[in-house]
Amino acid sequence: MPQKRASTSKRTTDVEEGSVRADALAPTFDLARSIYEQLEHGEIPRMRLPLRTKQNIAFQMREGVWRLGRALGTRSARKLDGALMLLRTFYLVDFINEMARDRKTSTLRELYYISEGWEEAKFHSEDESNLLIEDLEVLCERLREDFRVHPEENGASVIGDLTIKERNRKGVVKKINCRDDVGDGGYALPFNVEKEKITFESTGAKFVIAIECGGMVDRLAENGFDEENDAILLHLKGQPARSTRRFLKRLNAELNLPVVVFTDGDPWSFRIFASVAFGAIKTAHISQYLATPSAEFLGVTASDIENYKLPSDTLSDQDVRALQAELSDPRFKTAEWRSEIELMLKNGKKAEQQSLAKYGLNYVTETYLPEKLGEMGVL
Amino acid sequence: MPAARTLAETLAAKQREISVAEFFERNRQILGFDNPLRALLTTVKEAVDNALDACEEAEVLPEIHVEISKEGADRLRVAVDDNGPGILKREIPNVFGRLLYGSRFHANRQSRGQQGIGISAAVLYAGLTTARPVLVMSKVAEEEAAHVVELLLDTQRNLPKVVREDLQLWDRPSGTRVELLLKAKYQRGRQSPFEYLRGTAIVNPHARFVLTEPDGTRITYERASEEVPKVPTEVPPHPYGLELGELSSRLKASRRATLSEMLQTDLAGVSARAAREVLEGAGLKARDVPGDVHGEALERLLQALHTVALVPPSADCLSPIGPVLIKRGLRNVLGDVRPDFYAPPVSRPPRVRGGFPFLVEVGLVYGGGLPVDQPIQLLRFANRVPLLFQQGACAITNAVQTMDWRRYGLDQRGGSGLPVGPCLLLVHVASTKIPFTSEAKEAVAEDPELDKELTLALQSAARHLRTHLSRRTRRDQAEEKFAIILKILPKLAEKTSHLVGKPIPDLTPVITKIMDVVNVETTIATEGARTVRAEVTNYTPRARVLEAFVEMPAEVFGAATFAPAPDGTDPALGRAWWTLEKLAPNGRERLEVAFPKGTEVDASDLTWYLAGVDEAHLLGAETLPGDWDIRLPRAVIEAAQEAGEPLPSPEEPEVDYDAAEASEHVEEDD
Repeated sequence: MPQKRASTSKRTTDVEEGSVRADALAPTFDLARSIYEQLEHGEIPRMRLPLRTKQNIAFQMREGVWRLGRALGTRSARKLDGALMLLRTFYLVDFINEMARDRKTSTLRELYYISEGWEEAKFHSEDESNLLIEDLEVLCERLREDFRVHPEENGASVIGDLTIKERNRKGVVKKINCRDDVGDGGYALPFNVEKEKITFESTGAKFVIAIECGGMVDRLAENGFDEENDAILLHLKGQPARSTRRFLKRLNAELNLPVVVFTDGDPWSFRIFASVAFGAIKTAHISQYLATPSAEFLGVTASDIENYKLPSDTLSDQDVRALQAELSDPRFKTAEWRSEIELMLKNGKKAEQQSLAKYGLNYVTETYLPEKLGEMGVL
Repeated sequence: MPAARTLAETLAAKQREISVAEFFERNRQILGFDNPLRALLTTVKEAVDNALDACEEAEVLPEIHVEISKEGADRLRVAVDDNGPGILKREIPNVFGRLLYGSRFHANRQSRGQQGIGISAAVLYAGLTTARPVLVMSKVAEEEAAHVVELLLDTQRNLPKVVREDLQLWDRPSGTRVELLLKAKYQRGRQSPFEYLRGTAIVNPHARFVLTEPDGTRITYERASEEVPKVPTEVPPHPYGLELGELSSRLKASRRATLSEMLQTDLAGVSARAAREVLEGAGLKARDVPGDVHGEALERLLQALHTVALVPPSADCLSPIGPVLIKRGLRNVLGDVRPDFYAPPVSRPPRVRGGFPFLVEVGLVYGGGLPVDQPIQLLRFANRVPLLFQQGACAITNAVQTMDWRRYGLDQRGGSGLPVGPCLLLVHVASTKIPFTSEAKEAVAEDPELDKELTLALQSAARHLRTHLSRRTRRDQAEEKFAIILKILPKLAEKTSHLVGKPIPDLTPVITKIMDVVNVETTIATEGARTVRAEVTNYTPRARVLEAFVEMPAEVFGAATFAPAPDGTDPALGRAWWTLEKLAPNGRERLEVAFPKGTEVDASDLTWYLAGVDEAHLLGAETLPGDWDIRLPRAVIEAAQEAGEPLPSPEEPEVDYDAAEASEHVEEDD
């Protein structure tokens, strides 16, 4: 299982070294062998995979994160969808091996377009190709980087007194302070934030504030919130990418920095927090690398909307359904989250984090955040 | 006449004087002339019905032209001509210029027109609205030229008033043309001459219709059958439907010497024994003179006729359209809709209601270009005449609406009302006396006996629909499996073999496990000879001995050639069969039936049957009907099956990974 990741991740990637890691791809051949043997024995080919559904995630005490449970599903050639996914799996395995041979990497989006040449097995949407890559991670107990597939750079940014060393694409190691050596855009995270790429040098910060919207990051930076309060500002950019979550996890684990999450006050923002703190369902097989269990939700909470009399919108039907789905999500099954979700359902209101501007541009940094962080014991 | 008339006599005379015009004015609605749209339809309908009846009586294939042209702001000229036997010159004025004059009212058989009101009412309407006479041109085969008569209906006396008479050459052996100018309006739609002719063409595939609309558009319904329908024979009335007055007039008119003889010959269903019982019951003597029975004796006689058990009325006088022609008629008119499915039409055996025989026929068409999200199209017919009005008040509609069509695969809100779906339903009621709700003959009245027959016929058609839909579902599921075994599995094998560096394994066991059916795929090639090909593939995990049968209309059997040579034929039944010895798993056998160019045969006229596999494991063909008296090489089949491997036990239920995943993952991205 993905626990083995610890060993593979220590290695440097072959992009730099130009070497092919045979063992990274060996499990893909095992998959092919398994299907071949089934065909040879006249059995309808199938694969068994852990179900990545909200019913099949379990809290793991030791890691403090939500991990994949034991329920298995079957992908069988008896059904058209199953047969297609099986065929795609081997087009994908072929493609991955080809890339290894040619020392190439591909973005998730490129992979989706590569399938144009796969005839019947062509992906119908990028969701399908992303899902299959994750399936392969689970089946082979590898990470997608091992398969030479990565997301596009999404530029999630960091601003604050944090000095890192990054080995750039030319192989040169650069020391960067994320407050003094960067422009107003901050330090942009690459898709690979593992130790072989980034190491932490030093920091003067006392905590990390992870923020949903870029506008709010800019507001805090312009108001000098990071310098005044010794904070690292991290832009989540909506649902955070794996690299963003991994980076947060490392800041928390290696530098012992507390993490608070500051988002809009709506059901979707709750899910952003859940994927940061608890681990996402889709990536439950690697939660222990991505989740920051000690992260805390700062706001905007349902009671903030009332207490601060924030301009709000009425919950849409879709919002209500999302909240109800969260009530049956095991990750939200704590008294605090239950009452938060129920309060939002009861009030029927949601608010954006930037609605705090109602009280002026400095209100968020001078009043709201100090009050909230004080309550949380961070400041 | 005495000089001093009684008051009653004067009144009576007066009443007669105003009767026709007043009758018409007061009954415009029930006669079908209450508005300009409907007046046009009624006029066309009456003229065409007459033309069809005339052709049928003369046993000629009807060729009927309807021309509607505009004349002034609100007037239309309607001309209908036919190739019927023509009308004798002396009869023309009475037929067209006198209400309640006709040859069919007293005839106890099925016909389109019954009351004799129809065409003369149109003449009357035309006269009232445009003051123009009707022009009738008619030629009988015996005469050289056609007679042209222009006449009006004298509303005061209910008599024709001839305005002009002439002779004219007409280049056809016989026929009739009637031309009227009336206040009317043309519009296509649900209750239009267009719809009426379309419906008429469906149930009269032996007729050719040409409709010319006012804007010059010409619509032609070609003849789809060269068969002149059997002329309904006229039979004596059955006592169960007799009323006092008619019995009295029958008795008076009888030429039989004795009452006993009269009962047995002038009435239907009365045997010698029954006649004796009737006479005994009525206290009459066998030798009484028929014309002398009246008063109380007459009542007793009728009473006895209604109580004694008689032979039910004969159905010879009915003219059903029949399954073959219903299908052909529907196909002819609906051709461009390309329906997926023509249910085998239902023609119920005749039943009796009162003293009148009747029967119900139903045709059902599904799919193709028919609208999916609208109520089904219901085409109602009475004695081969489309019923276009009063759909809601009709017993036919009611029978359709009270049935639960959801059981048969159509949508129906709450299980009643008109079902919704790509379906067209044809319902035909034939009878010597249709119980119409009104004189306008637009809706059939409720009747328990009729309702029972309607429901049985509809259910029977609906069952065919259900079978078709469930086959289609199976077919769709099979399509998915074919996609797996033909496209995906070979590639999966190729990819994995390549990855492990081994040869591609034989996929037969996997293919047969996935499919587990014997498939019969029929195709038709029409270049030169018409060849219907059936490919029988054994997609089951064991070798099978199969018997394949093809059945076709016996008429075309003689023209057919077979490849390979069949192991047996039965030309009288239109059947040929082959034994497919030991068809191995994934094995395929090709059977061909070829017809010379020009043979009237379609792939759907051939039915393929397969013995040696049960219905659950058969696709694209029927299992052998239970009533076929054919000796099968059962021993061979069973032996072959027993020798085969036992079927694999079904696997334990599993969660389908890809179905479970589908609803999740709306949450995160990266």
